Amino acid sequence: MKQSVRDDQIQEQMRPGVITRDGMLGADRRKVRDILEADDAAVRRLGLTHARIAARMRELRDAGAAGLGQAIDVLDHFEVRVDSARGGLPCPFMHEGLFGKEFVEVLNRRSGERLTFTALNVHMIGTHGFYEGEGAFFRQDPQVLARVLELLPEGSVPAAQKGP
Amino acid sequence: MESLGFFAIFFSAVFTNNILLTNYLGMCSFLGCSRELKTSFGLGAAVIFVMAATSVLNWLVYTYVLVPLNLDYLRFIVFIVVIAAFTQLVEMIIERVSEALYLSLGLFLPLIAVNCAILGASLFMVIRQYTFWQTFGYGLGAGVGWGLAILAMAGIRQRLAQRSRVPAGLEGPGIALIIAGTMALAFMGFNGMVSLN
Amino acid sequence: MTALLIAIGVICAINVVLTLLLLLAEATIANYGSCTVTVNGEKRLTVEGGRSLLASLKQEQIFIPSACGGRGSCGLCKVVVLDGAGPLLPTELPWLSPEEQRTQVRLACQVKVKRDLQIRIPEELLSVRQYRTVVSGLVDLTHDIKQVTLKLIEPQEITFTAGQYIQFEVPPYALTDEPVYRAYSVSSSSAQKDSVELEIRYVPNGICTTYVHQHLKVGDTVVINGPYGEFRLSDTDREMICIAGGSGMAPIKSILLDMERVRNPRKCRYFFGARARRDLFLLDEMRKLEQTLPDFRFIPSLSRPEEGDAWEGERGLVTEVVSRHVDDASHAEAYLCGSPLMIDACVKILREKGMLEEHIFYDKFS
Repeated sequence: MKQSVRDDQIQEQMRPGVITRDGMLGADRRKVRDILEADDAAVRRLGLTHARIAARMRELRDAGAAGLGQAIDVLDHFEVRVDSARGGLPCPFMHEGLFGKEFVEVLNRRSGERLTFTALNVHMIGTHGFYEGEGAFFRQDPQVLARVLELLPEGSVPAAQKGP
Repeated sequence: MESLGFFAIFFSAVFTNNILLTNYLGMCSFLGCSRELKTSFGLGAAVIFVMAATSVLNWLVYTYVLVPLNLDYLRFIVFIVVIAAFTQLVEMIIERVSEALYLSLGLFLPLIAVNCAILGASLFMVIRQYTFWQTFGYGLGAGVGWGLAILAMAGIRQRLAQRSRVPAGLEGPGIALIIAGTMALAFMGFNGMVSLN
Repeated sequence: MTALLIAIGVICAINVVLTLLLLLAEATIANYGSCTVTVNGEKRLTVEGGRSLLASLKQEQIFIPSACGGRGSCGLCKVVVLDGAGPLLPTELPWLSPEEQRTQVRLACQVKVKRDLQIRIPEELLSVRQYRTVVSGLVDLTHDIKQVTLKLIEPQEITFTAGQYIQFEVPPYALTDEPVYRAYSVSSSSAQKDSVELEIRYVPNGICTTYVHQHLKVGDTVVINGPYGEFRLSDTDREMICIAGGSGMAPIKSILLDMERVRNPRKCRYFFGARARRDLFLLDEMRKLEQTLPDFRFIPSLSRPEEGDAWEGERGLVTEVVSRHVDDASHAEAYLCGSPLMIDACVKILREKGMLEEHIFYDKFS
């Protein structure tokens, strides 16, 4: 679907080597607008909102920040490590502000699943509803987020696929 | 038609045979670029200039080069090439004069070259066998008509955005086409005043 | 046959005529001639019009900080344009706050030089130069930190103050197709003018760190510019508390080497927080400084030593260690270099120990 000039500029920002090494679109050939719509629909099907998902990510990040780079146990059965590198990254949606290069590694002890997200992920999800393209380095699939971060009562989200 | 003068053709190209609302040519940038009055004004002005200039140029090339050499079948290619070159020229001028306009038009500026209304104007000129002044009148009028239509559309859309609640499914191209259709109906009221055929 | 040739000939002729017309137009309309850019009211530069202010200044050896190389995606290249810039462009608006828009702040990479300009930039930027260097050393300090030594080729010498940083230009490689700039503190002594040493830590999906860790080789050419930054040793006698882990050691090390050179007698304690023994590096250098400096102690601490580490030193988070060692910090100064998280936590501890904010210095890039 044709998107506006501004969306094209935003898509440019997400290409490899502009803000991050591999970019934010991975192998996804879709336009940004289409990616946003698809993930928006997925989030609504899960009965969630972007704001809730981002808030939960922030909650885990804040709890793990006390570890100052070391993994600590938070919120009953999570292990979180918040690490960071110096420098700031601009948001591809082209507005003021640089986001620190902060990496949050979450281990859900109950299910054994891990995921890693960045400060930029949290901002892009909460403010723009952007979860990155399929196959992107820091792609946050809404279903995976909901399951690992436990955003719904147990049993409402399809269980993790067994596999390699 | 020999009998129609410059002003008659100009007037009918703007109102009764509006190239966009009657012939439905040039819809692409019309739908894509008509959200804001300022950009629409800029794009409209660019299209008027390109349409008037290229239809005259194409008339000259057609009458003095293609027809004498029996090459009128080449007119499609030649017209497009002339239009594309002219659009480049207009891009350079706009970039020089107003960079803000250049950036906000963005992709739509080079897209003027493939705006079918512009090629359409030149082709109509051939079909209806216009003279030089008729061609100028028609090209200028069609451009003004197109510009008028996009300004009206932008004004309506800006108003709608502020005051009305467009149903979610109709946002964007949906409501734009409905508006275009309503405008076309309105312009049908001009029918019969002047006939261009 | 003749008809075909005539047809082809006519089309070619029309194309040629149009091309010539466009070339003529480009030479006249798109040609802005030369323009004068006046910097800070005194320095006058004559540049070729039509390019971005950032590129034109760069050509004149004035380097405005930029991470994205002029594509409008980082918002760092802000300058004040007093006159001659034309209206604000839609590509600049997202990066400028209302306050900045009012005070005529513009993005140098988006402003095109079309007529004479009057601009204002921070004075220190006028002493920033671009250097062509060659990689003379690449050492793995830890599993994710590389020490990169760059020997200056042209110009051959750099003058900087310990604590400052340079911008490293990453050329296009692998998937990237335009240069990008990243800032790194210089870790070598400022007395060493013919080379600079950097400590670069690998960042997942990082453009520059991937280049340095996976592609850079000894003998490669690297373009850098600098020096930048206001982080430096103060001119007082106050006791120094330094806190920096990982690649944050770089500016601290440079400062310590300078102190060693002039035999600065100030009392200095450097708390280096790491997780396990494998994250420690340059221990020998630090021990040597303990001998050569009048009153310097290097205090490494591990927050999660591993089984085989056999660690007898300090344990716990660096904030805990600082808390144990420091009672009254009201007569001291602090030099912090690290992540915003660590810096915030340390500032909190130091203030609890009586240190005033004005005596806390930190190196912040972001």
